Order: sequence, then structure tokens, then C-alpha cells
Amino acid sequence: MPEIKVTPLGAGQDVGRSCILVSIAGKNVMLDCGMHMGYNDDRRFPDFSYITQNGRLTDFLDCVIISHFHLDHCGALPYFSEMVGYDGPIYMTHPTKAICPILLEDYRKITVDKKGETNFFTSQMIKDCMKKVVAVHLHQTIQVDDELEIKAYYAGHVLGAAMFQIKVGSESVVYTGDYNMTPDRHLGAAWIDKCRPDLLISESTYATTIRDSKRCRERDFLKKVHESVERGGKVLIPVFALGRVVFATPGMLHAGQSLQIFRKWAGNEKNMVIMPGYCVQGTVGHKILSGQRKLEMEGRQILEVKMQVEYMSFSAHADAKGIMQLIRQAEPRSVLLVHGEAKKMEFLKQKIEQEFHVNCYMPANGETTTLFTSPNIPVDISLGLLKRESAIGNTPVNNDFPLSGTAILSFRLVSPEQALKELGLGEHQLRFTCRVHIQDPRKEHEMVLRVYNHLKGVLKDYSVQHLPDGSIMVESILIQATAQSEDQGTKVLLVSWTYQDEELGSYLTSLLKKGLPQTTA
Amino acid sequence: MALSTPTIQIVPVLMLFFFAFRYNDLHVFELQEPTRVIEWIGEKSVCVAGYENSKKNEILQLLLPQKLYVKEKQGLCPERDFKVERGGFSDRPVYSLRHVPNTSLLVTSGPPDSSLQVWQLAAEDTDVVKSVSTIPTGNDSKKPWAKIATTLARTPCVLHGSRVNNVQITEIESKKNIYTAASSISDEVSGLEFLDCNTLLACCVKGQLCLADVRQPQSPLGDTSVPSALSGEQWCMGVSSGLQGSDVNAPAIARLSSGGQLTLTDLRNIPKPLKSARCKVSAASQSAEFLCVSWAPVLDGCLAVSGFNGTVHIYDTRNWPVSGGETEPLFSHKGHIFSGMDNGGDFPLVTTHAWHPWKPRMLLSAASDGSLHVWDWAESHKNS
Repeated sequence: MPEIKVTPLGAGQDVGRSCILVSIAGKNVMLDCGMHMGYNDDRRFPDFSYITQNGRLTDFLDCVIISHFHLDHCGALPYFSEMVGYDGPIYMTHPTKAICPILLEDYRKITVDKKGETNFFTSQMIKDCMKKVVAVHLHQTIQVDDELEIKAYYAGHVLGAAMFQIKVGSESVVYTGDYNMTPDRHLGAAWIDKCRPDLLISESTYATTIRDSKRCRERDFLKKVHESVERGGKVLIPVFALGRVVFATPGMLHAGQSLQIFRKWAGNEKNMVIMPGYCVQGTVGHKILSGQRKLEMEGRQILEVKMQVEYMSFSAHADAKGIMQLIRQAEPRSVLLVHGEAKKMEFLKQKIEQEFHVNCYMPANGETTTLFTSPNIPVDISLGLLKRESAIGNTPVNNDFPLSGTAILSFRLVSPEQALKELGLGEHQLRFTCRVHIQDPRKEHEMVLRVYNHLKGVLKDYSVQHLPDGSIMVESILIQATAQSEDQGTKVLLVSWTYQDEELGSYLTSLLKKGLPQTTA
Repeated sequence: MALSTPTIQIVPVLMLFFFAFRYNDLHVFELQEPTRVIEWIGEKSVCVAGYENSKKNEILQLLLPQKLYVKEKQGLCPERDFKVERGGFSDRPVYSLRHVPNTSLLVTSGPPDSSLQVWQLAAEDTDVVKSVSTIPTGNDSKKPWAKIATTLARTPCVLHGSRVNNVQITEIESKKNIYTAASSISDEVSGLEFLDCNTLLACCVKGQLCLADVRQPQSPLGDTSVPSALSGEQWCMGVSSGLQGSDVNAPAIARLSSGGQLTLTDLRNIPKPLKSARCKVSAASQSAEFLCVSWAPVLDGCLAVSGFNGTVHIYDTRNWPVSGGETEPLFSHKGHIFSGMDNGGDFPLVTTHAWHPWKPRMLLSAASDGSLHVWDWAESHKNS
């Protein structure tokens, strides 16, 4: 029975590192390759030894797919491809391919230069890793190989974020990555067609939230800014700068322009800094968000932070309502949620199961879920049958429509060559060979001549030829004398024919077994 | 704040409304299904529930966004969202939901009959709100659904009934009946409350208030004839929670009519209302189904009123004119109307509201379009 296996990689129950292994019809795909931002040691990387203890990853994995540029989805990619070793294709959208290396380099700089860590990927490794990347367009079907194809769908969330459909034959899996179902000011809502995958894999980190409206967030933010400015203060909002870049992006206040401004403004309590997103440990941003108000700067200078420190997050994730909407759009046969604690997700699981009549799985990190899929056979239903079922009250319910009918399979008649071509098969020849023992003390070639004359006389409607090499040809059936026999009085004939000549071949064999006529010509 | 022209062009109506009405805080949420109940569970969570007839309804326990339950003023907390702590499924629509204080028990009621459903909130290993038991109340299916009130006296108890003559108290765990009202009045009840663990109060749809002492079960539910001023409309009541405060403020009951009449009554002298006023509503409500009036827990003398339309009004009863005529609200929350405009549908109806237990000007309100607002209005600069 065909099966799909899913294993979220990583240790323990912690969230923050996306890396999922999917096995579908013999193909192995890795979905995302994220870094856990909370750890400083090897625990920040997914546990790749799960995939293969000693084999090469390139041989085992058919491809890697990266959903978007956030470090908890792509942060471990250079480590994975260059330090652990993977040379196969890495798929992502064009914007993701453009932005990833910038973020990776930035992260590398902070980790190595600022924090002084040594076991980390280098700039060259990031470049080498990106060379393995194949960029894809939305809704473009990519043939990874003869059997495996993938397609990207718009996910919202951040620029370039995509949901991916992975298909092998009639089995498919959709991986959502991070997505959101409510449009933002600069991004739309995620969208997928009714592709009916066997399995939909979705993050569930925010599945139990009900989001405050975008306008209220914006209102609050604008109000804060306005109040600050009104009382004579200045507001600093450090953001990631991408595009025209120097590699040091100052989004976490760790370098560059924003850090300089921060140092100038920090001492005035009328000023405000609003951190727009997650700050990596070790950065100034992280320290002030943790409540530190005295910072040690370069040259052992102490900076006292009197300005107001705020944290605002506009990042959009799907909430409970969003997950239901996406399931309704895609109509999967089953749903799998990652990164949630099973105990705390029981209600959501029941909700999904009741509403959509699908199974909902919630594996822990490192745990493998196996699904069995049943192949689909598309069938046209006659209108008359539908009407009859409807009249007795039988109508489809949630894609279930049990009914009785008679299946008529229609046939087509084609040439064997076309059939072979359609099915992608090569033509095989079947040849049978039979040994016939003949009692004849004469020499071989004399015996063969006798056989020839005998057959010519009996098989008047068939072409019987005596070939120069001493063998006899009846139509396409070959008769040869062989030297192998135990005694002089017995000769062995090898009668050989193709499957198509089965009837004549069998007849010839039985004819010869009757023996040759006694009289000689 | 002066809005320059370009800003007005791009700022949608909703933003203007926010600035114009001056909120300290405003959170706008959209539930998947509308609720007509908001019940506090402690000080950090509320319960809401669906009231659809044709399908399963969800009961949700929502944890407030962090900034709404922390005591110190926090800046822009990243956490602005409700978190669904627990959820459960109800086969019937939930019209009334009460929490038994200091326990993990919930009681709900709703059509098609007046039986009660008991639920368990907390469980170690799951976040599912489990149905524990049903408290049946007779075989008469013609009784409308029961109104309920809960208390933890010695054991968790629920006061329930749909008509004055079937008001009773049942011990939740044992399902034992421990009090039955001795009354012949069959008028429909619109609200029930425990004033303390021994005193219960019922408000009838026709407007009467009925008081009873649980320790004297055979004495009839003290009934009063309906004052003429109160006839013809449908009524509901709001009871001051806690009833602390100075001796000057005797326990006051507020009654609200479907015509917009507000009446304050001292329980020591029910026939003679203390004060009266008329709400500022453009039209009388067709039904009293969602009418809701409640006292502010902190702001002395303030009432919240909703159920007529898509607004919630706050009235300061200390300012009411002696004549008893129409009075201006202190504040009017119009957010639900605006969210209706966004959706292009009809204006929604506010189904219920609830005050925050200790933040003076913060309320939660829900409407028939599924919206759930948490708002904290700014004090007016005008001298009132």
C-alpha cells in the first residue's frame, strides 16, 4: 500500500526551527532547514543524523525546499549543504533566493564577529550553498526528476514566502511554511487551489490565537509615535535594509547607521526606539528588550539607556481561523500540524476532524507519522444515476458519496507500437526452444536433409527452407541439429520459435516427435 | 491632532473613528462564530460560546492579551492577541453561560428546553472543555430556556429557572434540589442573580422584581405588582457586583426596558424606584433578546447599556435629570457599527457586554457579526 512518511526533525518539543522530512512514493524531500535562534550550540541545528547515519545526504534526498527567508526556516542551510554535505537541488522562489544570502551573511557576522563563535559556516559556504539553489516561479510546475514534481503557491507572510505542493504520481503533499490568510498592507493573503493533496502539513505555533485587527495594531503604533513626537522626542525604528546593501544590516541595532543614532538618542527619555522584530541574542536590540538599561559599548564605554524601548510585531501568521480557511481551500485528505504541543492542541485537532472529516496528526519532533494513501481512479458518473441517487436522498457529503452502480470500462484499440509508447515500455521478444530427440543412426547433415524433405512434403502451405548453415527455417521457426547427444543413434534437434508463432511451433514439435518416415528419398 | 489632507485620503473611516472617539486602548477581534455570552474566568480569561441552532457550537476560554491584564502600564506589547486556552463543543446553542467562582465548573443553558449542561474547564492533559453532566428540569418542553446564576456557597450551586414558579437551586455535583420557589406566578424570568449565598433575586420579563431568602424555602418569592410606569415593555436587570462601597450606596438594581427606560431601585424599597431616565436610542428594540445592562465595578454610579443596535452606551447615573427624561451617555462605543460597514453587511447588533474587573473604563463587547471588542475609553476633557 502506498505510504507517505513525515518526520519533523529537531530535538524535544521546542519550537523555533523548521525542518521536516517527507517520504512520498520512494522520494525523499526536506522541507525547510531552519536554525533555532535560542541556542548557541549544536542544538540550534536540526538533527540531520536522523536522515542517514553514514550514507551521503545527496544520495538519499531528492531535493530540499525552502519556504521563505526567515532564519528559523533557512538559517541552517549553509551548514547543511557545506558542512554536513549535500549537493542536490535546493528550491525556493526568486525573492527568497535574493534575500536569503543577505540574512545568512548578517547572521554569520553577528555570530562569528560579535559573539566569537568558531564552529559556524563561512561567507564562502553561503555563496557555495546558494549556487545549488534553483529559483522557481509561483504556479510553475518543476520536474525535479521523472517522477517528482513541485509547485509553489503564494503564502503572504513575507516577500517571497511560498507554500509548496510536492507530487509523485497520484500522491501529493502540500507544505505551507509560514503563511497568513488576511491580506496585509503590502502583501496579499495566501491562496491555493482545490488541489486535494493526500496530506497538508501546516505550522501550528499560532493556531490557538485570535488576532487583533491590523488597524488596531497600526493605530496603537501611530499613537505611540505621535505622542513621542508631540512631547518633543524622536523615534528610532531600526529595520532590515535589503537591496542596496552593505552586509551589516542594522535591524537589531548591532551595527551601522541605526546603532549610531541609537547612541545619540539613548540618553533622552523623550525619545523612543521601537524594535520591529525578533532580535538575536548578543545584539543591542536583544539586550534592551530584555530590560538592560546600561550597555557596554566599544571601548568599554557605558551607555545609559533612558529612551523608551518598545517592541512591536506586525508579522503575520495564520491563526485558528486561518488554518481552517486554508484547509477549506485545499481540501486535503489528512492534515498534519507541526510545532504544537499535542496536549494543548487537542481542541484544534477535534475541531479540524469534526469540520472536515479528515485525520489530524500532531507528531512531536523526531516522531514519524505514516499515512497510507489509496490511489484515485477518476470515474464519470452518468446524469441518470446521479438523479436517481438524489431522488432517494443520497447526495455527496464532504466529498463522500457512497453509491452503487455498474462500472463500464471503455477500451481503445491501438497499434502495439503505440501501446508500448503510451505505457513507456520496451518491446520484449519471447522465444521458445524445444529439444526433440530423433532416432537416426546416420550422420547429422543427412538427418537434417531427411527432416527437411519430410517437412517440405507435409507442410505444403508453409515456406520451408534449407539454409546454407545447415539449419531449417519453417516460416520464422528455426530448426537446428545439435551435436549434443549421448549415443550415435540419437540425434537432437533444437526447435526454436517466437511467442507469435506458438501454434506452429507446437505443431512442428509434436510432428517431429512422431519421428521421421522410414523410407528414405 | 491635525490630520493633513493626504492622510485623510488614505486613512479609512475606521481610523478616523478611532481618533475621534479617543480610546486609550482598542482591540478588535473576529470570532469564527458570534457569541451572546462573555463570562470572566478569574481576571485573565473570558468564556464565549456560539448560539447557532443548526450545528455544533464552540465554547472557548480565551486568555486576554498580556497588556490587558498586567498591572503596570506596558508599552506596545507584542502580544495583542487572544489565546484560545481551552475549547469544547456543544450540541445546543449556548444562550447563557456562568462560571462557578473558584472552581473549574461552567454551567450553560439554551434551547430547546430548560435543562442545564455542566462543563469541566481544567484538566491536566488536555485543552478540551469536557461535558460533565446534564441537570434536567422536568419534562415540559414548552418552557423557554433557563436563565442561570451560579455561586459557591458550601458547594457549587446553580440558580435556574425560566418562569417564576420553576425557579430553583440545584447542587451541581449531586444534582440535588436544595431550594424551590414557592410561587404561583408563571411569568417568564429575564434574569436571576444571587445577591449573597442566601438571597436570590429574579427579574421578570414584564418588569417585576422578586426577592427570596433561601433559608425560608416555603415562603413565597416576594412579589410585587408591576408599577404602571414599567408596563408594556420587556425588561432585564443589572445587579451591582460585589455590592461593596459606602453605606450610602444601598444595593441598587438597574432595570432596562426594550423601550429604553432605565430604572434604579433600592432593594429595601422595591415599589418606589430611586431614579429613572431614558436612554438615547433612536428606536425601541424589537425584542429584549440581547438587552443588557450592567453596573461598572469601579466607576461609581456608572452603567453600561447595549442590545438596541451596534453601540454600547455608558451612563453616569449621578447626572440624571430629576425629571426622568432622556439622558446623554457619558460615552458611546460605535466600533461594532464600523466593523459592519467594513464587511458590507447590515449593521450588527451588540449581543452582550462585560466590564473589566478592575480597569475602571475597560469593557468587552460582542456583536452578532462575530466581532469581539476590548476597549478602554479616554476620559473626556470636558467638565461633566
